[in-house]
Amino acid sequence: MTDAPTVEPLGRGVYRVTGDGRATLVYVAGPAGRRWAFADGRVYREPTTAASSPSQPAAHASGPQVLSAPMPATVLKVLVAPGATVSKGDTLVILEAMKMELPLRATSDAVVRAVRCREGELVQPDAVLVELD
Amino acid sequence: MFTRVLIANRGEIAVRVIRACREAGLETVAVHSDIDHRARHVFLADRAERIGPAAPLESYLSVAAVIDAAERSGADAIHPGYGFLSENPQLAAACQDAGITFIGPPADVIDQMGSKIDARRIMAAAGVPVVPGETPRDQSDEGLRQAAASVGFPLLVKASAGGGGKGMRRVSGEGDLIEAVRAARREAMSAFGDGTLYLERLLERPRHIEVQIMADGEGHVVHLFERECSIQRRHQKVIEESPSPFLTPDLRARITDAAVRAARAARYRNAGTIEFLVEPSPIGGDAAFYFLEMNTRLQVEHPVTEAVVGVDLVRAQLAVAAGAPLPWTQDTLHQRGHAIEARIYAEAPALGFIPQAGPLVLYREPQGPGVRVESGVSEGDEVSVYYDPLLAKVIASAETRAHAVARLEQALRNFPILGVDTNLPFVLGVLNHPRFRAGDVDTKFLDAETDVILAGIGVGSWPEAVTAALAAHGAVTPPAPQDVSAARDPWNVPARGSLRP
Repeated sequence: MTDAPTVEPLGRGVYRVTGDGRATLVYVAGPAGRRWAFADGRVYREPTTAASSPSQPAAHASGPQVLSAPMPATVLKVLVAPGATVSKGDTLVILEAMKMELPLRATSDAVVRAVRCREGELVQPDAVLVELD
Repeated sequence: MFTRVLIANRGEIAVRVIRACREAGLETVAVHSDIDHRARHVFLADRAERIGPAAPLESYLSVAAVIDAAERSGADAIHPGYGFLSENPQLAAACQDAGITFIGPPADVIDQMGSKIDARRIMAAAGVPVVPGETPRDQSDEGLRQAAASVGFPLLVKASAGGGGKGMRRVSGEGDLIEAVRAARREAMSAFGDGTLYLERLLERPRHIEVQIMADGEGHVVHLFERECSIQRRHQKVIEESPSPFLTPDLRARITDAAVRAARAARYRNAGTIEFLVEPSPIGGDAAFYFLEMNTRLQVEHPVTEAVVGVDLVRAQLAVAAGAPLPWTQDTLHQRGHAIEARIYAEAPALGFIPQAGPLVLYREPQGPGVRVESGVSEGDEVSVYYDPLLAKVIASAETRAHAVARLEQALRNFPILGVDTNLPFVLGVLNHPRFRAGDVDTKFLDAETDVILAGIGVGSWPEAVTAALAAHGAVTPPAPQDVSAARDPWNVPARGSLRP
């Protein structure tokens, strides 16, 4: 845009932004620093500073590894016990959320140090489920 | 005849059925789990009954809790919606025992069609083509291994009692078979209480085309034409439309005729759907179609048919259940124009479509000519981990397919949902895909095109309009934790689960 766009608030979280002869409705919500916006079928989210993506179980290069819940879910099955030796790719815990099973697998060969969940339990995102050495 | 209908469901379908009951002058009773006590369907009904805790097995999937609620509230009919207990013959049977009208087919028909073995046998006997497959008597890992060898790979492992993709696994070769069998068995046990598995030859690039049928208690059966639901991911449908861009008049006549034959063979009553897989002929000859399964209930995508045929399927369900004859004869039913539905799910396409839970901080439904929205949520509601992630269905109808697609696209571009990730931008990507525009789709479309679509909808640099609005938003609502308005901000409710970064 050549000129600065004009922003007109229309209601709670709704703005009409005009520039270059086009008007766009932009919807905004969320706290400062973690805002979400919607415009023309696309969603924009302010980047967060979180170190690791919650979509992948945290796996640190050194020291103990943990297997954590990627989303709110129910623990369907715990397939290992403390002291068990597991290989990369082994399924350690099966979660269930919204009708779907979600297997959590070991990312490397390891020994199970502790199991921090039980079957039937509802777990929150990033909750540590299994600790591995 | 009945006067008070209990809706044994939640979400958008409970809302849909409550509306139809009100239009028919019937009283309505909603049921709810603890976390749904302030859900939209609860507010819309004349009264509401609590049926248990959040876990579906102890509430919406409990026949005893539902029947108990019906008796407490004096309901004399139950509409099961879809999912949950809708295809559980025990609910239909329990209704009969309690003198309550079940708005759906008889229990024994649900039972027969729910068993893929019985359904296939009945359809094959009625001359309806079926896909090669079998349910081995020996359900051990070894028994299933032998059966797999005779069915051939690739194949599907399915829950014999199932539907909706639960307990279903694709197996491309013998090496993957046993893990798939075990997972499918567990899912089938937990979803249906029955771990019996069925193996079926997987057609390579079939289209999913289904036929809506309706039957009354006097033996009249009509079809309400087809819906094409080839845009699906892991057997969950995402986009449905009618008419199918694939069917020729001749193929449409044959497939709808087969569906009516199937319904008669099942001695069906009320609304049902016959699902077919249609395999286009590689050499330009006749396409082949195969019976996939019969859904003995209202479908999620029923509004597509309502729009194109100009009927109200739920109203017809109520009438037929009350003993009235079908409100239509076959020659009064026609397809007019085109309708297309998108399902908006709380899920994160960029993270492998993982379901999302959280608060609907901002949620504003679109409207306009030819646009219908069916939903069970409102702004400020919490999307929970316990139930299906379907938030809303947007149905667009117009004179032509191209116009209906354009309407759906505009509706979705004006459907802001903030606070929970959804598949809405992804659906827009599908609608704009050249293959979709050309009607060149099959059930493998999303397997093949998802990466391309995701790449196309990735958000690069932010448009200036978005940056400007964000700046303005910061200026008009400065962060003020002690401000009274902050107490109303759903982002500041301490009990709410934290939002994932």
